[in-house]
Amino acid sequence: MSGDKPLVIEDLNFRYHSRETLAIKNISLSVDAGQVLLIAGASGCGKTTLARCINGLVPRSYKGDLTGQILLNGKDVTKLSLAQVSQIVGTVLQDPERQILGTKVANEVAFGLENLSLPREEIIERVAEALDHLKIPQLLNRETFHLSGGEKQKVALAGVLAMRPSILLLDEPLASLDPASAQDALDIIRSLADEGMTVLMVEHRVEDVLRIHPENAIFMMDGQIKYYGPTSGFDKSVNYHEVKLPAEMIIERAKDDPAPERLTTLRKESVVGRGKQMGEPLVKFEDIAFWYEEGRPVLHDVNFTINRGDVIAVLGPNGAGKTTLVKHAIGLLKPKSGRMTIDGKDSSQTSVAQIAQTLGYVFQSPSHMLFAPTVEEELAFGPTNLKHSTEAIPHEVANALEIVNLKGHEKYPPLALSFGQQKRVSIAAILAMQSKILVMDEPTAGQDYKNYLGFMDSILQMPGFDAILFITHDIDMAVIYANRVIMVNDGTLVCDAKPAEALKDFDFLRKNRLVPTSLLKTNLDLLPKTGRFYSAEELAHVVH
Amino acid sequence: MLVAWRYVQRYSLIQSFDPRAWVIFFSCFLAGTVIFWDFRFLLFFFSIALLFVFTSRIPWKDMSRAWIFIIGFILFFSILTFLTGRGGVELYQGEHTLTKLVANFKILGWTPTLNITAEKTMYALSMLIRVFSIASMTILIPYSFNPAHYGIIFRGLGLPDKVAYGMDLTMRFIPTFGRDFSLTMDAQKARGYEIEKLGGGLFAQVKKLAPLIVPVTIHAIAGSEDIIDAMDLRAFGVGPRTWLEKLTYRKRDYVLIAIGVVILLASMALSLLGYGKFWVPGFLLG
Repeated sequence: MSGDKPLVIEDLNFRYHSRETLAIKNISLSVDAGQVLLIAGASGCGKTTLARCINGLVPRSYKGDLTGQILLNGKDVTKLSLAQVSQIVGTVLQDPERQILGTKVANEVAFGLENLSLPREEIIERVAEALDHLKIPQLLNRETFHLSGGEKQKVALAGVLAMRPSILLLDEPLASLDPASAQDALDIIRSLADEGMTVLMVEHRVEDVLRIHPENAIFMMDGQIKYYGPTSGFDKSVNYHEVKLPAEMIIERAKDDPAPERLTTLRKESVVGRGKQMGEPLVKFEDIAFWYEEGRPVLHDVNFTINRGDVIAVLGPNGAGKTTLVKHAIGLLKPKSGRMTIDGKDSSQTSVAQIAQTLGYVFQSPSHMLFAPTVEEELAFGPTNLKHSTEAIPHEVANALEIVNLKGHEKYPPLALSFGQQKRVSIAAILAMQSKILVMDEPTAGQDYKNYLGFMDSILQMPGFDAILFITHDIDMAVIYANRVIMVNDGTLVCDAKPAEALKDFDFLRKNRLVPTSLLKTNLDLLPKTGRFYSAEELAHVVH
Repeated sequence: MLVAWRYVQRYSLIQSFDPRAWVIFFSCFLAGTVIFWDFRFLLFFFSIALLFVFTSRIPWKDMSRAWIFIIGFILFFSILTFLTGRGGVELYQGEHTLTKLVANFKILGWTPTLNITAEKTMYALSMLIRVFSIASMTILIPYSFNPAHYGIIFRGLGLPDKVAYGMDLTMRFIPTFGRDFSLTMDAQKARGYEIEKLGGGLFAQVKKLAPLIVPVTIHAIAGSEDIIDAMDLRAFGVGPRTWLEKLTYRKRDYVLIAIGVVILLASMALSLLGYGKFWVPGFLLG
């Protein structure tokens, strides 16, 4: 039928068989061709379930009770086969790592077409077309495993576009990208919509998505739609604590609300390193170089010192060497040349377990470390290994759980928690070890805005740390929390300065694949008045 | 995401064949090797294996770790076989002692004695060369085949689409498992876990391995769920499949297959005629 809208949803309800409550309730919406619809909300609000209903994984792969109707181009989705749905709705998942199947880019992009049993010649043609469209034809014969995060995301998108869907469904497509790659991705998405594609974008980084002017937006909470309408009315209706809005909007909204409990004043003269001699060197990188293959250094000429009282944000593009750099700090990697000292001891003569007594390292992916039957036991694992006393451990565990806002989950199996909660358990597992130095690799990845602000606040208020270092893609994290910014690019330090100094030159930021945020711009504008950086909520009260 | 072994085009003998032809040859080779216990016959298979290894053009540093592991493993079991003579007793009846080593000390009233016999020696040597031939042919596979071809190799050998793609994923699961294992190891080390300090009884030791085994297993399960979703979302398994990659047999591939089949048939014939049983050279029997 012509004239049918690409997507119409009427009174949709869904309950997973494994749960007692509805995951989504009374959802009704419709989208026109060529429009972008933003679907925002905190984690657990039902946005991923809604996406799964649209692409047909619910109820086919995820079983449950579905009522209501979803019409794709006028056809009931439950009456279509998954193969038919996949030709109408192209889905790009949050993490391209979890979506890419092919070993080579050509195979990956061709995968869906192979399954549809198209002739070989047509497949080759369509693959080339999809890659050209995204301006990545040069990737055709590359191995997918060796692509950068941004390239992987584009290849995953190409694999979906090759099937020529009329609806593009993107589930948090920006989550694993550095800011410049995220901006690239957004521009591509806008131009696809302008060519007539219907785009549904599930995202809680609302600020970034607003740049491409979605026609309509939905804000979800507890499985229900709280706002549905033009994007212009969106900022008034959403809870600005739950999704990340542009700084100006937050300031406008927050000035009428009571001031945040803790102003940054507390934070910046944070408890980190307090009561001891500030500035004392704790971890020293001296002329560090590292490589896996001779002649192709991953790190070179790295020189810096983590001092007592430092809260360091490490910024830089995907693949710049940030993780390799911090893995040296805990001795998981030993430098090929140069000297690495932790607490005065050479890392080449110290085991990782010994270093773990002074330096706690939180890995990027929680699924690589969680194993215990309960959260409590998971958290006790580190302190027990470090031979903390049996009286101290329960106290350390309780304390750590409080900080990550998981009190009451002591007896839960960590593996049954949501990804965001697992991430917080993995942070708590290191916090419980009471290390003096805390190192975190992408602590906020996969977390919603509200949660990460919450636990970053708490960690910085936690007494006992001499220094904190975290890797992040999010400039705002550096703006709000750091007192020192280190930028890594091409395996070496390109900047090491106070945030106001390090982040003031936008050209320099762009060179390092960072994109200035509204919060950074506002802070820089207000700097003469405020004297230093604040979060948006705080700015509302500091300035007004 | 599934990791694949890095593929390098080396213009080597093994890579000059269609991988399907090579898989058929390899299967014939394996079947042929396990038929024999005669050291002289096994030398023939061993020399084929060496031919492929020495023409493989794989730099030593790339495969040194795999080789060291395998050599260590084989030597350990060969020596064990040699010392105990286990497994060989079905192949020979009497033993001819070459020398007898008697320790000049006693353990709980028992004097350790080692009977070096001609049979034990030859059995250990035959075992060594046999396993070594198989291992060295197998070790070449991940270094020589293009991972992008895994699926089409199995499809080309006559397996159905779904099974062939499943084999493709399985082949790539091995290096992925390795990567996940080392990531988990690192994450647990950072929590003060030291595998070197495992103590206690067997049960306690297994329990102490949980921090490694559980995350790796869970990761594998979660990873396969992601893979299934990703496949479903792109219409996998709805009907017959086109394979983008194409393999074509050339003359040399047919020759290789023919050689493989001849070797296998000849081996079976010789074996039926009673050749190739366990052999001890006459001079050792004195």
